[in-house]
Amino acid sequence: MDIGTISLILLAGMIFLLAIGMPLGFASGFLAVVVLVLRFGPELLFREFGEGPLNILSQRMYGLTTDYVLISVPLFIFMATLLERSGIARDMYSSMSIWLSRTRGGIAIVTSLMAVIMAAMSGIIGGEVVLLGLIALPQMLRLGYDQNLAIGTICASGSLGTMIPPSIVLIMYGLITETSINALFKGAFLPGLILASFYVIYIIVRTKINPSLAPLPEPSEDDLTGDQKLIYGTSLLAMIGAVILSVTILRTLYLGYFDMIDESRTGLSMTQMTVRGAIVLALLAYLLVYIRPKRAKEAWDVGKGLVIPMGIVGVVLGSIYGGITGITEAAGMGTVAVLVVIIARGEFNLTLVKEALMRTFKSTGTILWVTFGATALAGAYTIAGGPTYVANMILGYDLPTLGVLMVMMIIFLFLGAFMDWVGIVLLVMPVFLPIVLKLPLDEIGVFGPFVDAPSFVGVWFGILFCVNMQVSFLSPPFGPAAFYLKSVAPPHITLPDIFRGFLPFIAIQLLVLMLILFFPELTMMFR
Amino acid sequence: MVEHERRGWLDEITWRISRVAMVMVAVIVIIMMYEVFMRYVLEKPTMWVNEMSLWMGGWVYLSSGLYAMQQRSHIRITILYDIVPEWLRKFFEILSTLFIVLFAAATVWGGFNESQDALINWERFGTAWDPPIPAVTQPLVLVVLVVITIQAISNLIMDWDKLGHGIELTDEMKAEVEEMKRAQGITDEDIAKGIK
Repeated sequence: MDIGTISLILLAGMIFLLAIGMPLGFASGFLAVVVLVLRFGPELLFREFGEGPLNILSQRMYGLTTDYVLISVPLFIFMATLLERSGIARDMYSSMSIWLSRTRGGIAIVTSLMAVIMAAMSGIIGGEVVLLGLIALPQMLRLGYDQNLAIGTICASGSLGTMIPPSIVLIMYGLITETSINALFKGAFLPGLILASFYVIYIIVRTKINPSLAPLPEPSEDDLTGDQKLIYGTSLLAMIGAVILSVTILRTLYLGYFDMIDESRTGLSMTQMTVRGAIVLALLAYLLVYIRPKRAKEAWDVGKGLVIPMGIVGVVLGSIYGGITGITEAAGMGTVAVLVVIIARGEFNLTLVKEALMRTFKSTGTILWVTFGATALAGAYTIAGGPTYVANMILGYDLPTLGVLMVMMIIFLFLGAFMDWVGIVLLVMPVFLPIVLKLPLDEIGVFGPFVDAPSFVGVWFGILFCVNMQVSFLSPPFGPAAFYLKSVAPPHITLPDIFRGFLPFIAIQLLVLMLILFFPELTMMFR
Repeated sequence: MVEHERRGWLDEITWRISRVAMVMVAVIVIIMMYEVFMRYVLEKPTMWVNEMSLWMGGWVYLSSGLYAMQQRSHIRITILYDIVPEWLRKFFEILSTLFIVLFAAATVWGGFNESQDALINWERFGTAWDPPIPAVTQPLVLVVLVVITIQAISNLIMDWDKLGHGIELTDEMKAEVEEMKRAQGITDEDIAKGIK
């Protein structure tokens, strides 16, 4: 049978199987069999037991199990589940609200900022939305914040987990399309921050125009005065600076002592050591003499809830961006960092770990078996010649470059409203990405930045996809963020209420999507 | 975490396998930290940790699918499924279980010889430490797929009288949210107080 007909049957079959509620991974696997049967005929496939083209199915699945980066998926899930069950997030929230409690819309801004920090620790959503919903929603509603603003802030910010690195969406995209995940992480950083800062700007502008959306809390004794903020803030910065500089000095001393400094591992020079040492001493003098230990201690109490999560972020992102370890080890180290903090907080017990492992195992199975099925289908469709056929067909229509990209964005948004992101990455990307890679480079983006960097197109498209999936988490009728929030919202807030709160934030997401589509430079800042 | 109930001997087996396999995630974390310590602090990288975690990772990915099947947590879309009458729902379930069986059968049909060869020849990974990853994991792909299929049939039989759940959160997810509330020390009263 020709591949055109097979492609149509495949599409119809997928719609049918999803409609009858068949699990996505297994539906893909079964359709892989269908594609092979239609292409090679049953006689050839089933002539001899144990071999033949059907071999591709188990081969692809086995191949996936030997991918080292895939280990980071269960590890990041493990880390996130541990994080959700500890008080780290709650303390971070209290720590941050102190600074912004007298600012208009402060709690909403705190929620967004907190979501960014949490997103930089782990790479999944769901737990994050629930957590923010539990901690920040009651607070905002009690203060009389506008319900839509509160809901939208929580869900849009809570979804950032899969946008700001480390992100499980980017990991899967990198695996499937064989794009460098490190490059994806570097590229996604700025767009993620742009999205987050647009949320914050939106909150500030809305509440400035209409202060009744975000009433200020009654002034209380505990509020920090401007002077206090200055003292505490500078003390905290001094502490962080002193610790970081001391670590770099100690590292050089350690390396020098064991004679381990060479070309690949450079230490500090003598002058650098002296300068940094002097700065550390100055900072300590500032803390001990000017601030005094008592106030320094107060500053630490006010700020520690924020410093500890930043430390975890430092461990995870620092080891990835610093090129110290790979993503998989970074996930492992992040998990250990969270565990250490949990032990230090006295929240550790075996039940917590066991529960976290159970959850991790279940989510891993859920995500990875979609991957197994889809990789089998992608393998079967590829040996049947499918991707080439679709690519030629779309390119054959002679659509303008922007038209092709727009059509793809619309398909992503449409699919995203009904389907899980894993399924879209796995099923649609193997067809779409080859097309994008064939587009004329000088026509992508307003300034055509890819002419000098053709290898970056795959990275850019991955990040574009990631923003699309941000929309899909919020888009009705099945935006998962809404269902997660519903589970922790007061009963009078209905699902339509929640989706209504999303609308301005979806508009912001679409705006950022267009920005990245027209200015791919935004993803190319750190290369 | 509230688990889906266990009914019948197969659920019992799945549950036991899963309890062992899920510990491997923690083991991977531990040996990985050992490697980081050896490599960056003592400058003596091991040669076995990466491949060991790769090997165990394979088992985790595969067996977690079995657990997810027993827990009914595989990703599925239930838009149409939720609104059709029960007899049609039952028909859908039979159809989708049948397709899972066909998928597993075809995979075994095509992959049997290669897996058998890998096992008999005790095929190794071809690296410095050279663990028998293909010899173990390749047959495991087929074995786990077959067990998952049997689990799917078992699910069909066990769920026959009470099919279907909506797009609202399932009972397990609701229970999970309750646990998070407890972990964060937030009561329903706190949530209700949010009402203006």
